[in-house]
Amino acid sequence: MRTGIFMAALMAAMLLAPAVDAASDPGSAKLLKSTADHSQFKALQQEFNSGPEVTKACLSCHTEASKQLHKTEHWKWEYRNAQGQLLGKKTLINNFCTTPVTNEAACNICHIGYGWKDDSFDFTSEVNVDCLVCHDSTGNYRKPAGLAGNVVTKEMEFPPGSGNIIKPINLKKIAQAVGKTSRDNCGACHFYGGGGDGVKHGDMDSSLASPDKALDVHMDALGNDFACSTCHMTQGHQVPGSRYAPTAQDKGEAHLRGKAYKTNPTTCQACHGQAPHKKIAKLNDHTDKVACQTCHIPKFARGGIATKMSWDWSTAGKMGPDGKPLTIKDAKGHPIYTAIKGDFVLGENVVPEYLWFNGTVTYTLRSDKIDKGKEPVRINHFEGSAGDGKSLIWPVKIMRGKQAFDSVNKTLIVAHLAGNDDTAYWTNFNWEKAAAVGMAAVGEPFSGKVDFVKTESTWPITHMVAPAKDALRCHDCHASGGRLEKVRGVYIPGRASDHAGWLDTTGWAIAALTLLGVLGHGLARVLASRRNK
Amino acid sequence: MKGKFTLGVLTLMLSAGAMSAAQAYDGDWKRGRIYYRQVCTVCHTTELKKAIGPNERTQAEWAAFFKNDKHGKGKDTVKHFFSKQYRDSIKATNAAAAKFAAVPDNELLEDVKAFLNRSAKDGDAPAGCS
Repeated sequence: MRTGIFMAALMAAMLLAPAVDAASDPGSAKLLKSTADHSQFKALQQEFNSGPEVTKACLSCHTEASKQLHKTEHWKWEYRNAQGQLLGKKTLINNFCTTPVTNEAACNICHIGYGWKDDSFDFTSEVNVDCLVCHDSTGNYRKPAGLAGNVVTKEMEFPPGSGNIIKPINLKKIAQAVGKTSRDNCGACHFYGGGGDGVKHGDMDSSLASPDKALDVHMDALGNDFACSTCHMTQGHQVPGSRYAPTAQDKGEAHLRGKAYKTNPTTCQACHGQAPHKKIAKLNDHTDKVACQTCHIPKFARGGIATKMSWDWSTAGKMGPDGKPLTIKDAKGHPIYTAIKGDFVLGENVVPEYLWFNGTVTYTLRSDKIDKGKEPVRINHFEGSAGDGKSLIWPVKIMRGKQAFDSVNKTLIVAHLAGNDDTAYWTNFNWEKAAAVGMAAVGEPFSGKVDFVKTESTWPITHMVAPAKDALRCHDCHASGGRLEKVRGVYIPGRASDHAGWLDTTGWAIAALTLLGVLGHGLARVLASRRNK
Repeated sequence: MKGKFTLGVLTLMLSAGAMSAAQAYDGDWKRGRIYYRQVCTVCHTTELKKAIGPNERTQAEWAAFFKNDKHGKGKDTVKHFFSKQYRDSIKATNAAAAKFAAVPDNELLEDVKAFLNRSAKDGDAPAGCS
């Protein structure tokens, strides 16, 4: 009898155990994330020796994916703006690493494709689309620099003879674990723009991969935990919110689920509407002049990673006492000079600069003539003014630098920087050779004369949104020498430059006379009432 | 006869237990990253004024650290800092400890190991403190 009860209890325990397990085991969490377990798909149950092999397998189910990707800026690296300027990485020059052209093997690890090593790349190829760079969930996917965006599936030494061994990745394992895009996926490129962590944008770096609330209220890993795509709501692989098509002022309502919108979903207003301040309604009176970001992103590069604030290419090429390319680091170990790139100034916890912005950005293109007498040359500039009815005051990072230009043809220079050949600047430190190859590749004339010119580029600050308690306070702007001291065209009470002495004196005089009049009238009434008694 | 039946059931149970153990928990490096940065790093920064970046150690050094299980020159075990008891003690002031209060100790430990393994000096994605 006892044995029977014992056995019944045991059986019950065994039967119940799986039910208890299901509530807490990792499998349940995985189940809630997706209706498909990619490890069960036959197409993915094979060893893969290259990226395109994986893409071919993906396309066997997701038949239209590559066709969608082919229409995106992520694939084309081209975009034509409203002014008709042809933009995108394929054509633009910036004042960081300047351009990927003729440096494709190194730079194009951030193209969402495989094998773009020169201008022979086939932009119609479906299997050359890289699905994994955006959909890897293991964190193990890698596209090493120098291999034109290709992956390594067998251990290899690269560059050859360097002794640097690149470890292979397991494409089968990665392909079987694909999922929705995460901050890590987007960040693999966007955090490292300009050639390193946090270099370019200032408001995007690897600290946003797993930020706390103080760094970003939306991406807070323990709170809202937004993915990039939460705001950059993607449809058919088209990612809205590109800086090439910015929205400076959104006068629309907060987007409702189920309703179709044609406006940019990445704006603050797309979620928060036009009157987001419930407790202090007075703050809503600012939203017709001031972008949300101005108050809510008090500083950028706040995650412990420095951003580049200036880059002087003209000093590049110095050798150390040992005859090898010189590197100088700051107290924190960050390079502030390298022979291949020149001098840098880094910044952390940087207060933005502020300007009127109406959503139009105009660029200096490769063929545009520049005038050294009108330095700094604006690589791009934000248009806008107080009176155009379309502008708001925006926070920006202004990247300052000095870069190569053709002093005879008066154009910015496309230089061949990366590569193991005799013409690459990072190998031979010869600007003329590097420029000759770069300019020939883009079909621009080159006189053979290289000089350097001061340049500026402007970057919107829109990530790293601080908690409300850390937003700017009234006195940050309504004071002399405040944040908006240099912003013209708007009256800011408290700002000394908005005060005319004669107006202040007249105002105070009128107030004093009014007070005197009231007191006099009161006194007269009192005296009159006594006399009547 | 009854004895044989009992033995059979026990054997089955042991086998089931062994199978369950064999389904080893696969560490979630992303959760480990949060715990490492928001518990380990925050405490080291506050108490010692210096955090230890994952990339300041090799994979082998991190593995040895967990194997030795000594923290603070042997004052505590490493495991203690992944225990529910420890998380309970700091959850009032630490959001990560509060969020992961109910996670089994061994899972959290495996999560952080997975993160450090990939973020070590010789890992797939060396990472600093931020």
